[in-house]
Amino acid sequence: MTVLEIMERAGMKETTLAIAWMKDAFHLIQSNVKEHTKSEKSNIIDGIREYPLPADMIALKSISIKDTTDSKYKRIRRLTHSPVVSEDTDPE
Amino acid sequence: MSYDTHKTWFYQLVGRDIHLWQYVESNATDTLAGIRISLPDEYYGKQLIYPDEDITNGLRVEYTALIEPFVDEAWESLTARASSSTISFGDGDGGSSRDTINYTSGLGDFATGDKVRIIGSASNDGDYVIANAASSSILEVAAGSFATEAVGQSITVYQIPDEDTTPGESNHINLNRMLSLAVVDYIKAQLSDSKGELERKEYYMREFWKKVGDNESNKRKISVTFPSGPFAIR
Repeated sequence: MTVLEIMERAGMKETTLAIAWMKDAFHLIQSNVKEHTKSEKSNIIDGIREYPLPADMIALKSISIKDTTDSKYKRIRRLTHSPVVSEDTDPE
Repeated sequence: MSYDTHKTWFYQLVGRDIHLWQYVESNATDTLAGIRISLPDEYYGKQLIYPDEDITNGLRVEYTALIEPFVDEAWESLTARASSSTISFGDGDGGSSRDTINYTSGLGDFATGDKVRIIGSASNDGDYVIANAASSSILEVAAGSFATEAVGQSITVYQIPDEDTTPGESNHINLNRMLSLAVVDYIKAQLSDSKGELERKEYYMREFWKKVGDNESNKRKISVTFPSGPFAIR
């Protein structure tokens, strides 16, 4: 459906505002249902615990770690409680 | 070497970061000359430790994002598709030295400007834009896109949405028709909100969520059966 058709159906005339609201609606849909998903991969580094979430992320679907014995990404579980160790200054 | 990662790795979300933890039932280890060894002076037992190895592309995050919100063609019309083991690729053999996709009489549904995705090839998988739909047997893409590849692989070429980063009235929202109708309701809700008509806003937001929910249930086929009692009237 074109932007113009959506505007006409909604009875709206300002294109810029209509496009902004369409993006808001798209965002809301993506926030609640997994309509379009994407994935991002990054290297895991020995001794490093923190990895940034993707900057363009709206809703997280899953986190996986590569099993190097069979080259498959396997979904991992979220910790329900924070570990006792808040920071390890000598992780090796 | 990571193994059984679904059992031995855990994550925690802290603000904008993912914290990764490895579960070990031993003491911390180190790798010496390719052999993993236990460190004698470390605590032995069940513990969560920081990742203790390098894994190239080891972390995969799957998520939703504002992915290509506006495209050049309606979602429902992205129907061009060719799938065969007789598709081949040429390097610089098209007009103006463009690269080519070749499939005898099987590429007639594609048009110039279409964005396509190739899967199943030996060396040319990826997304490309058709620079010239020369005939029903030849599609041309920009020079330098392909490596020459003879027939033999089971290859599929199919059309995907082509994003427009500066959308205008003629562009399409990258949603199917049901969700596009939901967007109409969302805009009506915002218009009602700007006029202070809160009841109408609530009505249109309900309609919005109803259509989003309908769209989700359209993807699921659920059958419900009810057992009938032995004395039920039939």
